[in-house]
Amino acid sequence: MLYFSLASKAYARNLQYRGAHMLHNVASALFGYLYACIWIGIGQDRPLGEYGVHGMIGYIAFTQASLWISGFTTNGLGIPQSVRTGQISLDLMRPVHLFVHLMCREWGQIAYQFVYKSVPIYLLYVLVFSLSLPQQVTTLLLALAGLAAAAYLSICMNYIIGATALWTTESSWLYWMNHALINLLAGFFIPVEWLPRWLQTVSWLSPYPYLLYVPTRIYLGFEDAYRLLGSLVWCVLMTLACLGVTAVVRRKVEVQGG
Amino acid sequence: MGIMTEAAVRTELERSADKDRPQPMIEARGLHKQFKTPVVKEGSFAGIRTLFSREYRVKEAVKDISFTINQGDFIGYIGPNGAGKSTTIKMLTGILHPSSGEVRIAGVDPHRHRRRVVSRLGVVFGQRSQLWWDLPVKDSYEILAHMYKVGDKERDLRLGQLSELLGLGEFWTTPVRKLSLGQRMRADIAASMLHDPDVLFMDEPTIGLDVTAKRSIRDFLKTLNTEFGKTILLTTHDMDDIEQLCERVMVINHGQLSYDGTIDELREKIGLPTTIRVTFAGAWSIPLPPGESLRLPLEIRLPTGEAFRVVETGPDYVRVEANRQQIRAVDILREMSAWGEAADIHTEEPAFEDVIHKVY
Amino acid sequence: MNIRYWLHLYFVLIRSSIRSGMQYKMNFLLGTFLAAGIQIAEFLMIAIVLNKFGAVKGWSLYEVGYLFAVMTLSKALYRSFANDVHHLENYLTSGDLDQLLTRPVPVLLALMSQNFRMMPGELLQGGFILTWALHGMMQAGQITWIAVPFTFLVILTGAVILFAIGLTTATAGFWLTRINELQTLTEDASQTAVRYPLVLYPVWLRSILLVVIPVGFVNYVPSLFILRGELGAWVLLGIVLVAAVCLFASMKLWTFGMSRYQSTGS
Repeated sequence: MLYFSLASKAYARNLQYRGAHMLHNVASALFGYLYACIWIGIGQDRPLGEYGVHGMIGYIAFTQASLWISGFTTNGLGIPQSVRTGQISLDLMRPVHLFVHLMCREWGQIAYQFVYKSVPIYLLYVLVFSLSLPQQVTTLLLALAGLAAAAYLSICMNYIIGATALWTTESSWLYWMNHALINLLAGFFIPVEWLPRWLQTVSWLSPYPYLLYVPTRIYLGFEDAYRLLGSLVWCVLMTLACLGVTAVVRRKVEVQGG
Repeated sequence: MGIMTEAAVRTELERSADKDRPQPMIEARGLHKQFKTPVVKEGSFAGIRTLFSREYRVKEAVKDISFTINQGDFIGYIGPNGAGKSTTIKMLTGILHPSSGEVRIAGVDPHRHRRRVVSRLGVVFGQRSQLWWDLPVKDSYEILAHMYKVGDKERDLRLGQLSELLGLGEFWTTPVRKLSLGQRMRADIAASMLHDPDVLFMDEPTIGLDVTAKRSIRDFLKTLNTEFGKTILLTTHDMDDIEQLCERVMVINHGQLSYDGTIDELREKIGLPTTIRVTFAGAWSIPLPPGESLRLPLEIRLPTGEAFRVVETGPDYVRVEANRQQIRAVDILREMSAWGEAADIHTEEPAFEDVIHKVY
Repeated sequence: MNIRYWLHLYFVLIRSSIRSGMQYKMNFLLGTFLAAGIQIAEFLMIAIVLNKFGAVKGWSLYEVGYLFAVMTLSKALYRSFANDVHHLENYLTSGDLDQLLTRPVPVLLALMSQNFRMMPGELLQGGFILTWALHGMMQAGQITWIAVPFTFLVILTGAVILFAIGLTTATAGFWLTRINELQTLTEDASQTAVRYPLVLYPVWLRSILLVVIPVGFVNYVPSLFILRGELGAWVLLGIVLVAAVCLFASMKLWTFGMSRYQSTGS
């Protein structure tokens, strides 16, 4: 139950700012609108592959909304801040594993962002662009499963980014770098298959496509359930990486005293 | 020089008399400050509704405060948290503008001429530093010297003096973020003195410091006041600061000045009891009316009509309380010496802390 | 109160904030490297698309690159010299603004000189894309060398316009206190929008980006003349005028906001 209460606290903490967040949603929705406009411009006098102009708008709408699930995770899960304040040694002393503790908190954050950001933004797009929703419930469920895996992957990635704060004192750059890579390799603006061949290779060797591209393709009905196997494999690999990182962090803090 | 008319002589005399009379340095007349805070809405879309709401709650932070502080005064400005101390200081230093009323620093209005006024002020906020966090201490002084247009020669001279008085040498090239709290405070005070201001505002300069650090800060402030004639306004929650440094205290409470005068007068006005504890060499007994047993507290009335109270007794001692404004200690002791053979006498003045507690 | 004294002081403050930054050399190098990487990744996004599909609404890859680079450089200039104007919210919530008010220096100057950031990453990346775009268009005979000095002028006026927008948004903080959300709209979103030609957007959005938040004047409007010879040379004069008006208006607003802060202490 501890895990649940960690998550629900994080969720509740955000609730008090939801007014300001709604204002922020307008800006966020505008970003997606800009990207959609670019695709409309490009698609004006040429077909856009298997998607078509309307399909691309749907694609952008979904990735923009999903960004709040797998893109805007708390910078380094808050580790950089707790390194700065020395809180990290306290956190490591707790009877809960550091990774599990931070992960639970982040799940609450993501749940909040899903309800108060992703959903309203996507509904806005549905209205503005008159998008159609998936015909089958299974498609929706599979897409949600893909998003859940994406959220988990993003948590793992940010955990590792946060851990570097112990060495560099300033890891926000890595966070932004990660963000740029999401834009480029996760198929946020360009579907991965339209990247130059070498970038496609790089992309598929990384977990990035599973953050946005795969869930979006599933949602749009272009992919089958078996794509989720890839998500699963990456989740396992990233979990192992995070556990390894925790061991290193623990040693580092014990040696240096935070 | 020609022959002076009688009137001219008189004005000349008045002028020279004025020179000796202390000059007002800080004047506040009828200061008011109201804060309007929007009423925070509850429920759904609370944030947005608050943003567009026109409902305000008006809070009077400072109500009709007037005082004059003369050149060379050392004033303690005290009051409980949230009483309006900081707001007053912010108005005096031109950070905030009063809702009504006037401030003059050496005759100049900080509201209208902020930059001119602050170049004559030294301000220290104990809670935050004015130094550059990541730079060595000496670099901060260089920047401040540029800012306040202090020439190189003058700067070096003054820093030499300050360094001697405050012992800045030991951390001269250390980045500010690595200083201890005591060092940082010394460095901060030196920074506020760099441009040789006439008036110093010290907002809790001893907060969080240990005994030694506190003492060195106090000694320095004392020197500034007595030897360099600086006018100092000090706010603090440490009553020892006030007792040791200030000749005059102003107490603010609920936005109003509730007291303005010397410390001794304040003590008298509050009239907290002095305690006297007499230890007896042998047995002691208090003469009681027949049939009555000793019940504390017991009031003893002297034949002259004055009274004191017995508050505590032990096998070999008696502790009594009395108001020194109403009864002389000698009279109490004379009475008590009749109870047994006094071996030791210990008198305690009311702690200033308690006096203040009473004012709040 | 002469200009030379202020400039000198600004220079001293900036030098010391560079020195502060240099305390963390590793961070500085890493930050530079990553900033360039981030910027390049962002440009690749649009470059890949244009490379695959060709021009968008008549704007070639070179032209879009030019828009992109001018925006990056103007923004880098603005953020280098006035970084903490963008972070006024922190000063308001922490009360650090009061500290700045105890100094015999205009608050805006004090604010601008805090945390000066050199942005070599952005400058490198922007300079690189700009050179590439200008070179490509010169090869194709679309523009001549005269475009180079014009571009420098435009980057400068662009920085002024962005500064004015940033300052106006920050000034709103005196009323709202929380301005992060507003900044996402007036700074981040709008700056992103004009990295692509405005013709892509519907009229209502285009008008907003020219009239309400005049970012369109940073790169799009001048490029119509510099790259495509549309409108006429008067455009450049017009841009200077727009920048001057924006600057003047934002300064007036700032002074007004400041006086409000001092009388309400929000």
